[in-house]
Amino acid sequence: MRCLLLTALLVAACSKGPDADLPAIGEARSLAAEWALVNEQAAAGHVTPTYARTMRAKLREQLQTSLGSLTQPKSEYGNEVRSLLAASGDASPEQLRAHTRALKRIEDSLESA
Amino acid sequence: MNPLELTLGIMTAVGGFVDISELVFAAQAGSIFGYALIWAFAFSTIGIMAFGEMAGRVAAVANQPVFNLMRHRLGLKLGLVTLFASLLSTLVTCAAEIGGLGLILHYLTGAPYLLMSVVSTAVVMASMWVLPFKWIERVYGLLGLLMLVFAAALVAIHPPWDKVLGGFVPQVPSSLSTKQLLQFGYFGVAILSAVMFPYEAYFYSSGGMEEKWGPKDLLTNRVTTTVGFVLGSLLAIAILASSAQLFGPALVGPEEPGTTALEAAIPFGRAGLLIALLGMLMAVAGAAVETCMANAYAISQFFGWEWGRHKKPWDAPRFTIAWIAFMLLALAIVLTGADVMTLVEYAVLFSIIVLPLTYLPLMLLAGDKGYMGQYANKWLAKGLGWTYFVIVCLAAAAAIPLYLLTSGGQA
Amino acid sequence: MKLTGSIKLVCQLLDLPILDKDERWCGIVDDVELEGEPGKTTRVAALLVGPGAYSGRMPKFAYRIVRAMAGNRIVRVPPAEIADIGSAVRLKCTAQKVGLHRTEDRVRAWIPRWGAL
Repeated sequence: MRCLLLTALLVAACSKGPDADLPAIGEARSLAAEWALVNEQAAAGHVTPTYARTMRAKLREQLQTSLGSLTQPKSEYGNEVRSLLAASGDASPEQLRAHTRALKRIEDSLESA
Repeated sequence: MNPLELTLGIMTAVGGFVDISELVFAAQAGSIFGYALIWAFAFSTIGIMAFGEMAGRVAAVANQPVFNLMRHRLGLKLGLVTLFASLLSTLVTCAAEIGGLGLILHYLTGAPYLLMSVVSTAVVMASMWVLPFKWIERVYGLLGLLMLVFAAALVAIHPPWDKVLGGFVPQVPSSLSTKQLLQFGYFGVAILSAVMFPYEAYFYSSGGMEEKWGPKDLLTNRVTTTVGFVLGSLLAIAILASSAQLFGPALVGPEEPGTTALEAAIPFGRAGLLIALLGMLMAVAGAAVETCMANAYAISQFFGWEWGRHKKPWDAPRFTIAWIAFMLLALAIVLTGADVMTLVEYAVLFSIIVLPLTYLPLMLLAGDKGYMGQYANKWLAKGLGWTYFVIVCLAAAAAIPLYLLTSGGQA
Repeated sequence: MKLTGSIKLVCQLLDLPILDKDERWCGIVDDVELEGEPGKTTRVAALLVGPGAYSGRMPKFAYRIVRAMAGNRIVRVPPAEIADIGSAVRLKCTAQKVGLHRTEDRVRAWIPRWGAL
């Protein structure tokens, strides 16, 4: 019984695949949404250029970390994060929100699976 | 009771209530669960009011600092365990605050984050050296009132007030999946921990002794802990409610502490953003001072050293070395590159585990007629104290499993 | 309370803070030294203050850590110097007289004496 439990724990700890990537997908979705919000407010003149620049850099840095933590980086969601990172810092909010919605769709489908 | 002193005390409590942990968890809770966790803030605030009042009363009546009395009640061995656990949890909290300071200055100036962490630490340490206790508390507390911009921002975005008020009713949303329920539980525990951080009781109690409180100041103590903490809590609730209105529908987590400032930028533009960032800077700086001094108080009182910032630094030399050392240790943790959000999570996790060890001796002391005479806990303080002690124990037991099961609140 | 009648060592004396006649904090009652013989009254011979007094109150491994960090100094405070025992032990004399402020005075030399308001 103890061996079985230990094995189950080890398997859980080393799990790969979409389930293990779910927290990172949610994080990437939020980061994309934050980026869109920052750019929207920057376009409206509601934030300082320094704030916009530093937030964009921080958000991209976090997205890079999320991509690096994926157990399946060549998956649909991995590609989505990579194309997000390829966007320019001042990308349009609509473009960024399209990625947000795509990641949200993937997140929801994995959660309901 | 001097009305000016009382007003300043309340305003200081308001401005000093919110720290980096509450900023982060309020914004995330609002975004993920809407208004459903407002009651967790309200509930936790009643807890800190009860224990804060006890801590102030013990300082004013027994005229002994909390950690002196704690060692006397718990003895050396258990006292050392409590001391060590408390120092560790407060050190991590201090590191989170310093990291938060570095980040906020980075958003304001564009200068590198780690450099800003070093600069802000130096400025905070200089202020702790130069200013006597009363002015340290007042400067950071009163400047922290810039955070009121978040309350104004909530009003400006016209939230559904019926839903905001409905959030004060204890609830668990019915439509949650098992994972989301666990996440909800995790946020409830994290909010309890962030509001009832152990360092707040130590700092408040020692602060009362720094200001030479006596039985005549008991009304001041009661008013500060009730009115001040309630108003401070409403600020945190305003951040949560704005997040529910602005961030939730936009699918924003938020993952970056700087995103919270957008709550003021959206209705008020650049001026709102700048006031929000400056308010966050002062509130987090105040929390860095409190956590650092709470550790210095704890170790000095436990070993019977001279302590207090009402004395000049050279008149309490080991206390001075202690707060300098703790501040530098906290900075060292930040300089390892540890992520601020991770530090916040660990601060909250360690603190909830230490909370029962902190609050039980305090409650027993406040109820001990030998020390407190006629000012010992009466039925309300006893009732609230024991109720919250049980809740804190349950939360402490649930904290680590919930953290692991939800991957740190990610579900 | 004076140290002339009977006293409960653990709940009324041990781990109490010590204040000298100038109201300065000067340590904690880390242990108590007793004197007496079989059949005779046991008396408090001295209050023991300092890390060396922990040796009988904690596991050996923990005391080794304490000794490595803080040394094993013990200061003996004779009962004659005790003015009162209540929520703290109050001394009749200054901390210097019984050797209680040595470390504080040594550390004071490291602290610059300027800049504070």
